[in-house]
Amino acid sequence: MELTLLWAALTAVVLAWLGTRIWPEGLPDHPVDRLVGAGAVGLLIGRIAAMAVQGTNPWTNPGDVLVVRGGVHTGAATIGAIATFLWSVRGRTDYLDAIAPAALLGLAGWHGGCLWRGACLGSAADVSWAWSEPGSLIARHPVEIYAALALAAAAWAVSALGKRPLLRSGAALALAGAIRLATEPIRLSITGGAWGWYLGAITIGVLSALLGPKVTASLHRTQLESDLTANETSPGGRSDTPR
Amino acid sequence: MRRTVWVLFVVVLAAACSRSSIDVSAEPDLPELTADAFQGRLEALDRPAVVNVWASWCIPCRSEAPLLKAAHDSYGDEIEFIGVAVQDSQPGAKAFLAEFGLEFDQVFDRSRSIPNSHAGIGTPITFFFAPGGELVRTHNGIIDERGLALGIDELLQSGR
Repeated sequence: MELTLLWAALTAVVLAWLGTRIWPEGLPDHPVDRLVGAGAVGLLIGRIAAMAVQGTNPWTNPGDVLVVRGGVHTGAATIGAIATFLWSVRGRTDYLDAIAPAALLGLAGWHGGCLWRGACLGSAADVSWAWSEPGSLIARHPVEIYAALALAAAAWAVSALGKRPLLRSGAALALAGAIRLATEPIRLSITGGAWGWYLGAITIGVLSALLGPKVTASLHRTQLESDLTANETSPGGRSDTPR
Repeated sequence: MRRTVWVLFVVVLAAACSRSSIDVSAEPDLPELTADAFQGRLEALDRPAVVNVWASWCIPCRSEAPLLKAAHDSYGDEIEFIGVAVQDSQPGAKAFLAEFGLEFDQVFDRSRSIPNSHAGIGTPITFFFAPGGELVRTHNGIIDERGLALGIDELLQSGR
């Protein structure tokens, strides 16, 4: 990974850490470690998925896996990061809600890190705040800055939501997808962008936010029933008299 | 745990060493061009050109090859794509092209005279030329999708 990408990653980590300081309530132990770990695993999975999609065998070309500038599959990376974080907190979905604003702020840092990479610009624009590439006369939308600002605003909006199960994390996923989708038309792309994945993130996020309490209650009920059944069937597990 | 790590290490190593070879002996060799001849070819073009300098031994070149193929598929009608294989062998270069299905023009430059004449550093390099062969942009190192799209868009916008 080249140095400019490392600077962008460092910006993401610093802003995620800041997020855990601004919204500390309900966080698991070592929240930044878990976020960074989940992000790194997500990046790895996303890179391997991108190689597979591009027709490069990750097994026969293991060195390519580290060349993240060759492309990272957005959807696979997101699923990998969320799954890794959930695994690291033993499936506690309430931790997903607690970390959601900090994760969005970290994502804002990753996009804002375009300033270190010289990679902020999108399609040509005729607006007063447009920038030009060094040596170019063509003004362009600073699309990564738009995304960073929108994600930072989304972090604050999500932190103000109630504490219903999966509400904050669902809203965070939906907003992250929506921001990418909204900025996609002014991004420069060869392959056309991951529109389907962004729409999928919005759908899953909205469904999680709306159905989260029901899903969580159902999971708890199933767990309770399972525990009761285990108690009833185990020797000495059930007794009419208190022990 | 230690045994699992060793088994994984051996599997990865074995997989890495077992790269399948492609038979390219029947393929014609890539044409060799001097820097002057290459520049003459660029000057004769009436449309912009993207020139990618690569080698079959270069890992980042492998990563950007699918992107260049996609770019050629999308913009091949408006922009000339040319590959320059440097410090390579003919069989290695031909196997690389066959593996990634790169169908745009390629030249062979064992001595790196073409990138050196444009002050390109390392491998890979992507040069962007205006119609008539004027160099307008150089990207040293691996180019990502955004960088390639930006370079192409600058060429196309400048021509409008």
